[in-house]
Amino acid sequence: MAFLDNSGDIILDAVLTDTGRLRLAQGDGSFKITKFALGDDEINYGLYNKDHASGSAYYDLEILQTPVLEAFTNNTSNLKSRLLSISRTNILYMPTLKLNKRTGDGGATGEGDKNSFTYFRDDATANISATSAPSKFIVACDQDTFDIFSKNTADALPPRGVIQGYHPGDGLSVEGGAVRVDQGLATNAISPTAGLDSDLVETQYIMELDYRLGRVSQHKLADVTDVNFIDDDNIASYYIAGGSYVRNNTQTSSSLDVVAKDPQAFEGPRGTTLFFRLRASTELQYSTYLFTQIGKTLSPGTLTQTVYGLADARFTAGQKLYSIDSTIRVTGANTGFRIDVPVRYVKIQ
Amino acid sequence: MASTFKTLLNDDVVSTRTLLHEAIPITGTIMSGTYSTNNIKTFTHGMFESTFDYPYLSSSANQLVDISYGHHHSISSSLGAAGYQVQKKRDIYQQFAQVLLGYDQDNNIMAFDSDGTLDGGASTANGKGGRMDQCFFLSYSRLLVKDEIKKGSYTLSIKPFGSLNAADSEKPSVTTEVVLGDYAAGSEYFTSPAGDYGLIFETDAEKSDPENSIGLIFYQAGVVVLSSSIFHDPTGFGIDNAGVTVGALTFGYSGSEGNAVNWGDGSATGEGTAVNADGVLHAQASGSIENMVQGLRNRWVDCNFNNTIELNSTIYFARINHNEFNYSANPTYVSSGKLVVKNNVTDLPVTYLTSVGLYSPDNELLAVAKLSEPIRKDPNTELTLRVRLDY
Repeated sequence: MAFLDNSGDIILDAVLTDTGRLRLAQGDGSFKITKFALGDDEINYGLYNKDHASGSAYYDLEILQTPVLEAFTNNTSNLKSRLLSISRTNILYMPTLKLNKRTGDGGATGEGDKNSFTYFRDDATANISATSAPSKFIVACDQDTFDIFSKNTADALPPRGVIQGYHPGDGLSVEGGAVRVDQGLATNAISPTAGLDSDLVETQYIMELDYRLGRVSQHKLADVTDVNFIDDDNIASYYIAGGSYVRNNTQTSSSLDVVAKDPQAFEGPRGTTLFFRLRASTELQYSTYLFTQIGKTLSPGTLTQTVYGLADARFTAGQKLYSIDSTIRVTGANTGFRIDVPVRYVKIQ
Repeated sequence: MASTFKTLLNDDVVSTRTLLHEAIPITGTIMSGTYSTNNIKTFTHGMFESTFDYPYLSSSANQLVDISYGHHHSISSSLGAAGYQVQKKRDIYQQFAQVLLGYDQDNNIMAFDSDGTLDGGASTANGKGGRMDQCFFLSYSRLLVKDEIKKGSYTLSIKPFGSLNAADSEKPSVTTEVVLGDYAAGSEYFTSPAGDYGLIFETDAEKSDPENSIGLIFYQAGVVVLSSSIFHDPTGFGIDNAGVTVGALTFGYSGSEGNAVNWGDGSATGEGTAVNADGVLHAQASGSIENMVQGLRNRWVDCNFNNTIELNSTIYFARINHNEFNYSANPTYVSSGKLVVKNNVTDLPVTYLTSVGLYSPDNELLAVAKLSEPIRKDPNTELTLRVRLDY
């Protein structure tokens, strides 16, 4: 993708995205443009030098010289960071999204067992600090895999917070971990008791993920949530609000650890939290086709503890471990802030 | 409430139609010379030749023009067994006439009329102004023509007389050229089932009288029909190097049939009835379609026209008010929770926009526009960005 020529007048290079072309081809009236947003993907605001010795005219000199790339046609590769409209101009601190990687046991809001908030192997706890392991949420695609991963905690480096990526069965409750994303101010300059201004509190989230691989469900429910739409690249979008998905974060302790049952990601004022769980697609649950196409296959002997935290002895002869790495994109529908959650779908067969 | 979208109102969307033109040159060296015959695709049926801008076996080759030759069915009858590819030449003529002209009131396929009246009248003494019985058909690729050839822009330079040299890649050694063109199209053109068509004249001076026309150009179809009389009419074209008015002595080379005879050579015998000093008459009777096409290609000096693209556009005016889009969700916009562009609450927020996204009601990104350089946006500025989508 080339840079746009910025030597003359300002020009606009406009293209239809692949989704736009798809909808146009469908001819069912789904190609309808009703709103616009502005993006600043190329801008690094770290280049804004508000202490420049030559004065304010030089603050943004480097930013204004940023070359701009041509438009991508992939709809998910554009406008990854959008501009925000907030009528007032006196905002100095803005909330962001952060993955809550800390362990806890559910806390007062009853979010579940102690694995609910676990971020695999990115915790400071001594026995799960293997650095060679990737920091990803593990989604077990079937019961056998889940059992091997979650019930061998006697191993030296047991995996934690494995997500049960399948239906547990009629009448059985969901086990395993979930994902939690927090919204708040990443600063200790303001007490959490000050709270977040109402116009900055995120009430709705957009989740995007590869629909060939997974589905979204509430963290304690077996059923998956209805998808809003799936684009031409099999990227599914979910609009998530309320229910057990989005909750107001009422913890006002300034310490991250002081409330052991509800550890926090932000030291400053907090907005909402998003909880969700992933369900592996039917194809991942019952077939290894996609694993062999876009994933990785590990044989016994390579399933070392430093990779997955499991001893080879946990696997029976001839078993292989299949995995696919992917990301779940979580975007605040109102504020536009986003975060990519790394996940790894695994299957032992 | 913070928001990243702004709804487009009715006044923010407008549809327009624009005509764009591109200059298209097809040089004679492409038609014969640069790539020898590697860019000329022939077919076993021998009914036309395709010219490419590069050796056609290459995936980067683009088709430029298909050239064929045909004659009216009355010629087929008169030639009988003496002619070569008589049936195919008739079929080509009928096919083009059928598509470009249509049928008369008795459902007979109409004939090409060089004066554009389609009255089927006889031609004048110098072969002009009436029905064109023997014609070259130049079908330009849609890649070049796009929606249509711009009226009044078409010229074709040829060397209508002189003998060809022994190689397919060489032009006649004579220097005199004739520049055919649709000189009258600016003020006069006709309509047909295949769209508008104009008349082709030898010179700009001749355009005053339609009787002087020696061909037709169908603008939307991108087809030029030329009378073969341009190669044998001594009164119609210029004078050779020796100061003698003469048609083409030798016309075309052996084609797919593998005969080494120079088809249309006025001095050759045994290939139908040769007319001395009128080589094309010989070629069109007893030569193949490919012989005729080769003859034209080797006499092709230059061709120029402008194409036309009808661009239907929708313009979206993204109006950005002073109190909108002054903050960013860019991860670098915030450091330790604090805006990096502000020191204190009284400083004005500032953002730098580089792209405009157009969204569906369900927030799906349907189109995107990129600015060539970042534009500063703060509460003191208002902007209107004009995003044009072409269809």
